Amino acid sequence: MTDLTERERERVALLEPADTPITLNADEQIVPMWKQRVRIFVHNKLAIASVLFLLITVGSCFLVPLFHPTNQTNQALTFGLPWNQAPSWHHWLGTDSSGFDELGRIFFGGEYSLTLGFFAGFITIVVGTTYGMISGFAGGVTDTIMMRIIDAFLSIPYLFLLITLISIFNRSTVFLICIIGFTLWWGNARIIRGDALLIRNLEYSQAATAMGARKWHIIRHHVFPNSISNIVTVATFSIADAILFLSALGFLGLGIQAPPTDWGTMLQAGTSQIQNGFWWEIYPLALIFILVVVSINYIGDALRDCFEVRLLER
Amino acid sequence: MFAYVIRRIIQSFFVLMIVMLFTFSLPYFQTHGIVAPAYTVLGTKATPYNVAVWAKQHGMDATYFHRFWTYATQVLFHFNLGRSYKENSSVWGIISLYVPRTIWLAAVSLILTTIIAIPLGIYQASRRNTVGDYTATGVAFVLYAMPNFLLAMLLLDAFSFHWPHLPNSPPQGVQAWAIFTDPVGFILPVAALTMLSVAGLSRYMRGTVLEVLVQDYVRTAKAKGCSGSRTLFKHAFRNALGPIIVLLGLSIPALLGGALIIESVFNYEGLGIQTVFAATNLDLPTVLGITLLVAILTLLGNLLADVALGLVNPRIRIEGNSR
Repeated sequence: MTDLTERERERVALLEPADTPITLNADEQIVPMWKQRVRIFVHNKLAIASVLFLLITVGSCFLVPLFHPTNQTNQALTFGLPWNQAPSWHHWLGTDSSGFDELGRIFFGGEYSLTLGFFAGFITIVVGTTYGMISGFAGGVTDTIMMRIIDAFLSIPYLFLLITLISIFNRSTVFLICIIGFTLWWGNARIIRGDALLIRNLEYSQAATAMGARKWHIIRHHVFPNSISNIVTVATFSIADAILFLSALGFLGLGIQAPPTDWGTMLQAGTSQIQNGFWWEIYPLALIFILVVVSINYIGDALRDCFEVRLLER
Repeated sequence: MFAYVIRRIIQSFFVLMIVMLFTFSLPYFQTHGIVAPAYTVLGTKATPYNVAVWAKQHGMDATYFHRFWTYATQVLFHFNLGRSYKENSSVWGIISLYVPRTIWLAAVSLILTTIIAIPLGIYQASRRNTVGDYTATGVAFVLYAMPNFLLAMLLLDAFSFHWPHLPNSPPQGVQAWAIFTDPVGFILPVAALTMLSVAGLSRYMRGTVLEVLVQDYVRTAKAKGCSGSRTLFKHAFRNALGPIIVLLGLSIPALLGGALIIESVFNYEGLGIQTVFAATNLDLPTVLGITLLVAILTLLGNLLADVALGLVNPRIRIEGNSR
């Protein structure tokens, strides 16, 4: 958390007017913007740790099962074996209440949770950005109507909305991705719309308009590059949220249907065994789950700092 | 102020119309369209003729707009949320007993959240970058990253199983006031819900107060010799109150969504459990009715927050149209 200190201090300091104007010496080289951004990100140790942890988790979820396949779908093969085995050399994290190897199952469920989170987050950001840009740029009545529609959907508590949609459409993985992806973007659209509205009215956009630039040109060359920080940040938070909401659905038994599984369903199964003292069915997965979501959120925070123009050229 | 409130009410009404349009239109996307209940009532082998007759009897052959008009007037003037064909009862009849229970659970949690989150935000912002601030931020970060049910389950395991001092479930039965007459059973669910919403809010709360603390008028107050606590409460807090109220209003949907999970974990008969039960039972009208109801509750909560915002913010109170 030491890096957080510095960051916060910088932020607070930046809100106060600078004492000295920034001067550029002749021998100083101008560092490209993306390099400065990468530098700020790399400077943040916790963010690097988060990226590493995520890479390791995602990598092992998708790669380890290739080298060390475990049976995760056929219950007939586990029949007769002792269930709820404690961790041993053979099963590093024991077995669950159906006799499946717990470690292998964490990877197996992770494939679904992470894939779904990623794609849902991706849809979210594409739809949210498009909607927000259109709304912010159209202005007037169109903007008002589009924002009232967002208000309406934001006023439906999200889990209730998800359950409603799930009880109408089916629960295949693709549908779950679509349902979460196409309903989690209201908040994002609002943020992007705020950006678009702000940038559209800034001097350089107005100057471009005065010089005869078309709307599409302004969106592409002024609004989009300047709101990219919010888009990227919001995208990472959306992935974390999608994973969390999927886990809530899994807990309610409305998530991915067996034989595939996801972390929420597994946590639910684990929590029902918690009072029997089968700690290996819940705590390792809970730890990984929380760390994954914390990492994603932290990377989002760090990315926001990277794009913070005021932190550049220190 | 009056004009502002009226404007907000009209705005909420339009938003409610959009929500109703949504909940009304969804049944058209079922497998059999809006006549799907016919197959529930008449059986899966019903002939198309019987289905058509049933649909006509229930006014389902009318045009979309005519049906929406009926639906909207029924909701607005008779508070008729629809009819569950699976349970053969009105949706309101199924859920009416559980509505106060969920509202009380959410309301008590919201009050506790306010009591905890505001001082916490002020503490974190005024003592920023100290051990206390880091601890609070870290705990909030982890709680926020935790699935709601996991936290509730861990609390349940700790305080009701390993150190069995608290009951694992609130008293059953449907008395609305049970939360006040028998509070012991509610400690765990309310604590879980409150922790979740404090974790969700504290990230913003700290930032909100911090933003006020670096304003010029705070520096001026300090410069003219104002004591630390006086600056904090007279100058900073008063100005941060507006954004804080907005945040609290916006947290209501998350609170109701959290209540759904908490109810399922602690087996507390409320709207949440009814929703999950109806969803697993494929009872769409009930799910839609409850969704509409919680949306109305949220809108009312936001309206209250807006009125409170008007009360604390003289700019809104006097001008009426500053936002």
